[in-house]
Amino acid sequence: MTLSLIFSMIIASLAAILLYTLIGFVPGTDETSVLMPVTLALVLAGTPPMVVLAFFMAAIVTLNLMNAIPTALVGLPGGVMSTPMIEHALFLKEKGLAATSIKKMATGSLLGTLVAVPTSLLLGNLLAPLAENIKSYSAWLFILGAIFLALIGKNKILALLSMVPLALLFQGLRSVYWDLGVVPQEKNITISFFLGITIGPLIISLLQLLNKKMNQDRPRYAIREVVVSTVSEKENLFHPLQTLTKKEGLHALVASLIANFLFVLSPVGLTILLGEASSKQAKEPIERAELAVTTMSALSHATYLSGVIIPLIALGIPLSPVAVGPANALFNAPPVFTLEHNLHHILTTQQFVVAILIGTVLASIVTYYIAMRYAAKITVFVLQKIPHEAILGIFVAFILLLAVMDGGLLNIFGVLLVGIVCGTLNQLGVNYGVQFMILYAAPELLKLLVF
Amino acid sequence: MLVRMIFLKKDLIEIWGDLVSQKDLLLSLSVSSLCTLGAYFFAPKNTTSQLFFGLGGAVVGFIIITLLITPKRHVKTTATPPDTTHQEEQK
Repeated sequence: MTLSLIFSMIIASLAAILLYTLIGFVPGTDETSVLMPVTLALVLAGTPPMVVLAFFMAAIVTLNLMNAIPTALVGLPGGVMSTPMIEHALFLKEKGLAATSIKKMATGSLLGTLVAVPTSLLLGNLLAPLAENIKSYSAWLFILGAIFLALIGKNKILALLSMVPLALLFQGLRSVYWDLGVVPQEKNITISFFLGITIGPLIISLLQLLNKKMNQDRPRYAIREVVVSTVSEKENLFHPLQTLTKKEGLHALVASLIANFLFVLSPVGLTILLGEASSKQAKEPIERAELAVTTMSALSHATYLSGVIIPLIALGIPLSPVAVGPANALFNAPPVFTLEHNLHHILTTQQFVVAILIGTVLASIVTYYIAMRYAAKITVFVLQKIPHEAILGIFVAFILLLAVMDGGLLNIFGVLLVGIVCGTLNQLGVNYGVQFMILYAAPELLKLLVF
Repeated sequence: MLVRMIFLKKDLIEIWGDLVSQKDLLLSLSVSSLCTLGAYFFAPKNTTSQLFFGLGGAVVGFIIITLLITPKRHVKTTATPPDTTHQEEQK
């Protein structure tokens, strides 16, 4: 490990902090579609693995806290991970406590990171020896993973029913591409299908606009007034320990610790489950909401970090909703990374620790400062300058780009097909996790059914 | 002027948690896609530079759209007074 490598990791982390601070403030951005393409680009560009890892770690720490800020100030969730806390954050905002709410979120995020990094490094290393045996059954793990996620989802029966049809869809498209010579025989298209799944719900709502009747039936709105609660910035840079009560700190720490052991579950689900459970411990409404935002902010960090770090260190295959989602490019980004040759195989434990620490520590410090000092200013800037149309435009553009790169112009329509099918299933209550797992399990799952 | 026109008309729809105008959305989707794919096909024929040209194109498209289209939000700031009533914006 040379000095220049460490320097590159620091630069990459700072770049991630800058980029995802801005993105984090934009309401409604989906973590997977903002993290995956950029990480993929870095990997494919031949960036050293440790630098990619530091970048990614800084990115998730930044994104999780920044997503929470518009929730506190405006009541619009900055991303999927901050939806669980919206009710509590809105309540605090209405009580005029937006500033308090941000402070607690920022400190909560520090605690979540502080617990998750060492715990998941430890867990990852403890699981690693067992993992060697497990890995030869990786296809089975994806199938079991899909069944498991189906059973904890909203629409269990449809989720189970849709497993084989989805596998047929993915393998069917792959076979057609092989037959037509669009992609070489040894190439298994994953990335663009993956994004097709992510963008599915958006594709469905865009396509519904093309149907005259459905379009006319949609509710219309006039321009909305968004009220941002500004926060006085002078006395606002608190020592982290002064912003929380003992109870809040303790709850955040314990919940984050528990979340590490449940890294295979969905991060949003865990945040709701553990966050609501701990908020029930407070009687008085304000106290309860404050406890909830603190714990949930800690949880959003802990679930994300453990969901990436443990599978990376222990397994090398993406066996958690986070790993199979936003962190996918760290496991599988052909031709640079494949399931047989990725960060897990390339980096030593020591290298993992260094890269993860550089990314998370830098991001924690900088984002804490930004959250305390500039939260309201950035929120106002983003809401005033960035139109929602531009966000939707750049998402669609990303998908088109990765579709063409993966399988040529024909694949644009393949990804459209994946988006339509998966978006519809999503509306019917089959969550992303099931669909992602099937994408990996498809070849083996279909072989099982051939007699 | 543009802002006032939008104010008067009630023609915005909600997609992905925020309001858009259908005309602006169409404009945005076309400009972003054209910039991205244009840059992609313009790039030297190797995966890495194609990806970077494409991402660059996407960013250029994003900037153009940001300059062309007015966000559909009317931002007001209040200095966190205690106990405001429950009349904030919806959601």
